[in-house]
Amino acid sequence: MRKIYIPLAIVVLTTLELAWPAFLDFFYCKPDLLLAFAVSLVFYADFKTAFLFGTLSGLAKDLFLFRGVAVNTFCFGALVYLVYRVSRQISTEDFYVRLLIVLAAALLNNFVTGLNAAAGLEGMASGGVPAGIFLRNLLISSFYTVLLAPAVFRLAKKTAL
Amino acid sequence: MFNLSRKKLIHIILPVCFVALLGSCLFFLKKPAQKIFKPQLSFIGLVKREFAGIIFYHRNMVKAERLQGEIDLLRLRLFDMREIYQENTRLKEIFKFKQNSSRRLLPARVIGRSPESWSSMVIIDRGLESGLRPGMVVISPQGLVGSILESSDGSSKVLLITDPNQGISSIVQRSRQEGLVNGTLGTNLIMRYLPDEAQIAPGDIIVTSELSRAYPKGLLVGKVISVGHDFSGLNRYALVRPVADLANIEEVLVILS
Repeated sequence: MRKIYIPLAIVVLTTLELAWPAFLDFFYCKPDLLLAFAVSLVFYADFKTAFLFGTLSGLAKDLFLFRGVAVNTFCFGALVYLVYRVSRQISTEDFYVRLLIVLAAALLNNFVTGLNAAAGLEGMASGGVPAGIFLRNLLISSFYTVLLAPAVFRLAKKTAL
Repeated sequence: MFNLSRKKLIHIILPVCFVALLGSCLFFLKKPAQKIFKPQLSFIGLVKREFAGIIFYHRNMVKAERLQGEIDLLRLRLFDMREIYQENTRLKEIFKFKQNSSRRLLPARVIGRSPESWSSMVIIDRGLESGLRPGMVVISPQGLVGSILESSDGSSKVLLITDPNQGISSIVQRSRQEGLVNGTLGTNLIMRYLPDEAQIAPGDIIVTSELSRAYPKGLLVGKVISVGHDFSGLNRYALVRPVADLANIEEVLVILS
C-alpha cells in the first residue's frame, strides 16, 4: 500500500535535483538521484512497479530539460529492464553489488546523455563537448550518484515495501 | 529605713558581684571566646559563601542561557540582514542598470537549475504571462547570460552561454576580430574559427557582434584568458571567461525589445 508514496518520492527527488545547491556540486557535477531511485526500485519492488515508476522518474527529469528527445525516459526504462535481467542472473542482495549496479547504470546513462548533449539541439550549432569535460561529467557524476545511492536505497525501501 | 533581711541582701549582692566580676573579665574572655568559635564560624561562613555561590552561579547560568538565546537570535537576524543587504545591493545594481539601459528589461529570479550535468540551464520565475518568448536574450548587469529556450505560463528555461549548444557570433572589442563563441559545460567559453593572424590576446574583451541574429550587438560576453591553435593548425581558438558568475547567478534581466 505504500506504493502510493513512490510518486511523492519522485516529486521530492526531482525538486531536490532542480534546487541542488551550487556549493554541493562536485567539479560542476551533480548526482543523479532519480536514476539511483529508478534502479533501486528493482531491488525493492516487483518488475512492473519498478518499470512504471522508473520510466516516470526519467520523464520527470526530461520535463525539466530542453531536448526534443526524451533520452532519460527511454534510458531509465531500458536500465530498469537491464537491471531486472541482471538481478535474475546474479544475487543482488549484497549492498556492494547494488552499488556496483547503480554505478554501471549511472555510467551508461551519463554516456548516452553525454553523447546526446554533444550532438546538439535541433537547429542549433553545437560546439561539442570537450573530451576532458565529457570524461569529467561521465565519471564524477556517476561516482557522485553512487555516493548518495545508500540514502536513495533507504527511501526506495520505505516507499516500495 | 531599709528593712531588709540578711537573706534578701545576699540575693541582691551576689548577682551584682557576679555581674560585676563577669563584666570585669569581659576583656580577658574575648580572645579565648573568639578562638573557640572561630572554626565553627569559619565553617558556617564557608557554607554560606558556597550556598550564595551556588545561587549566584545558578542565577548566572539562567542569565547566560537567556543571553545565549538572545545572541543566537541576533546572530540569525544579522545573517538575515546580511542576506537582505546583499540582495538589496544586487537589486540596486540591477535597477540602476535597468534605468540606464535603453532597452526594455524585465527582472527575473532564478528558481531552478538543470537537473543534470550535461546542460547549463536555469529556470526563471517569469514566463508567457510576463511577455517572455523563446529566443529572448537574458543578461545580468555584468554581461550576457543566455537566451530563453522554452516558456510556460509562469516560468521559462534559459539556456546559459556555457552550454555547448549556444553559439554566439562575437568580436574582439579591441581588434574587431570575429569568431564564434561556444559553451563548454565548464567555467570557460571557447571562441573558435579565429584565423592564424587574428589579433587576439589574453585580457581582450569579447562582445556580441552585429552578425548575431539572436543577440543584440555589443553585449559583453567575457574576457580572453588564453589563446591557442586547434588540432588542424589552421585556426586559432581562445578561451573566454564569462563576465557574469553563471554558477551562482540569482537574478537576471530579460531584454523584451
